[in-house]
Amino acid sequence: MRSLFRTFSTPALVALFLIAPAVTVSAQDPRIQLSHLDHLATRASQTVDVSVDERLIQLAAKVFNDKDEDEAQIKKLVSGLKGIYVKSFEFDNENEYSAADLDTIKSQLREPAWSRLVNVTSKREGNVEVYVSLVGGTVNGLTVLSAEPKELTVVNIVGPVDLEKLAKLEGSLGIPDLGIKSSKKPKDEQ
Amino acid sequence: MKRTTAICVSTILLLTFLSATTSFAKGDDFDSVVKMIEQFYSVRHQSLPFLAKAGMKVAGTAAKVRGGDFKRFADAGSIKLATFEDQNFNGDFTVFRKSLNDAMSSTWTPLIQTLSATDGEQTYIFLREKGDKFSVLVVTIEQRDATVVQATVSTQGVALLMKDPEQGAREITKEATIDQE
Repeated sequence: MRSLFRTFSTPALVALFLIAPAVTVSAQDPRIQLSHLDHLATRASQTVDVSVDERLIQLAAKVFNDKDEDEAQIKKLVSGLKGIYVKSFEFDNENEYSAADLDTIKSQLREPAWSRLVNVTSKREGNVEVYVSLVGGTVNGLTVLSAEPKELTVVNIVGPVDLEKLAKLEGSLGIPDLGIKSSKKPKDEQ
Repeated sequence: MKRTTAICVSTILLLTFLSATTSFAKGDDFDSVVKMIEQFYSVRHQSLPFLAKAGMKVAGTAAKVRGGDFKRFADAGSIKLATFEDQNFNGDFTVFRKSLNDAMSSTWTPLIQTLSATDGEQTYIFLREKGDKFSVLVVTIEQRDATVVQATVSTQGVALLMKDPEQGAREITKEATIDQE
């Protein structure tokens, strides 16, 4: 232990102890930073920024009426979620966003916390990637990155969520209609 | 001596900034947002609170007479409205957006924000709880016009707004400005 203190100065160790828990929390937190894409708004013909945090989700659970079929379903789907964040850009021309812009998102979706789902299809043109965040075998977050020539959309859902749930939430709470579904056939159909 | 002066100046600046932030958070956010738009874009607003309220009543009565299904978002009499007509809204909207979000973040929750660089349009919807109801603040800025609406909405209104925020914001603004059309 003494050698440890000899190797690192006291301020450095204090800083290390302060930073370490933050890094651990950040590694487990499936909320990704989307603000790196904000500069694209100046070039986009349409930018949509949706932020439904835990407070609003709790609010949704409170205000959605169980007697209304749609609202009851949304209430059930958002139960347990901690946040829904969407950033979507539509451009008049192609090549308005760069690979570096995509990398600001992809760099946050690295293993071991995040895994990319294969066998996913979308009605959207271009490249659609779906990632899930797993902690102890349980999904605690999902991110969809849809990169079309004239459109870029990122959906980040924090909490227990799967593709089926995402598909049902599309069109509600500001989540765009991505038409995402698993292309994997159920076992009995194979 | 120079160092002491620098510290004094920094302290005064910090206290001024903190005092401004606190007064924004505690004061009437509607007025602060209107003032922020005026200062940022160098424009002047027209305030029509009584006409807006009258418009609400007229619209409600007309719908009842027609026997229509009148769904109202905002509580009658709760609407605060400021309009900016036929003025220039030239300015970096990313800077305006950041200022607005920074100012509102402590007391309001942003729900949805839409921007269009090509059309010069911006829409911001903020929510916060108000007893057993909710306050909604909708800011719409276009190239030549802008509207700020703050209204109290019921839980049912918030549910509709959350299901389809863009449509909900349009309805709230339309309700507030209906008498002007």
